[in-house]
Amino acid sequence: MERNQMHRQVSVMRQSLFDQGYLDEQFIQLEELQDDANPNFVEEVVTLYYRDSSRLILSIDQALERNPLDFNKLDTYMHQFKGSSTSIGAKKVKAECTQFREYCKAGNGEGCMRTFQQVKKEYTILKRKLEAYFQQARQVGPSETACRPRN
Amino acid sequence: MAPAIEGMAPAVESSEGNNKMSKGYQYPSWKKKLRGLLVDNAELCRIVEKGIMGLCGVETQAVETGEAAVELIASGATFDLIVIDRFLPSMTGAQTARKMREMGVESKIIGLFASYFEGDEEDFVAAGVDDFKEKPLSPNWLVPILRELDN
Repeated sequence: MERNQMHRQVSVMRQSLFDQGYLDEQFIQLEELQDDANPNFVEEVVTLYYRDSSRLILSIDQALERNPLDFNKLDTYMHQFKGSSTSIGAKKVKAECTQFREYCKAGNGEGCMRTFQQVKKEYTILKRKLEAYFQQARQVGPSETACRPRN
Repeated sequence: MAPAIEGMAPAVESSEGNNKMSKGYQYPSWKKKLRGLLVDNAELCRIVEKGIMGLCGVETQAVETGEAAVELIASGATFDLIVIDRFLPSMTGAQTARKMREMGVESKIIGLFASYFEGDEEDFVAAGVDDFKEKPLSPNWLVPILRELDN
């Protein structure tokens, strides 16, 4: 595929992640932190997110199987998970995390379990989309959308 | 490049027509050398928050625990801005802030929450923080605070 076309395709992919509400402006902050000294910053940070989060998700899954539920523990895990989701701009994941915390505060186990399914769903969808996006972006090479221009 | 309005919305629209999110925020530089201390246990959050503080012109040291932060200060390090996450592994964020105030730290201290519900700030405020923020730490929010510190 012609290079300009590939560039456009990456741009369109990126824009749709914002338009469809998967990412918020925090992702742009990550892009702003990417420069010649840190050319793969965004992908590295996102990779770190998925690595750390998979552990948290496992912990939450296990905690949700206990009887009775330890809402404090669940809340602490989710607080961490929301923090990192927020840091990469994972908009939908973040919203589900907030919902989960509300159920925790209310001591609503059913609500927590239901919402956590949603958290995992949004998390997985975003992961697939970001993987596809980075794969395309890598093929094209550094682009104007990904790197903060040097002043 | 025309100078941006400091602390306001991003200055430059991307030249790409389909990119609705503006890029090229004009990051400020300060008269004083602003030094920051970031206390956050999550590696991902530390990386991102330190990066953002750096973009905003604050030379920042990042530590993982309240104890490490207190030790730094006890060793004589001084900071213009201290940002502390609420949940830390042993000493909490609020306990860390309180300890710093007891040690005579007069710097601006900001409490950071991954997830904020009304009332969450009570222990931070009681500990003597100047302000608090739900993540993410954004330039738009931080720059006006830094401008005050610079005067």
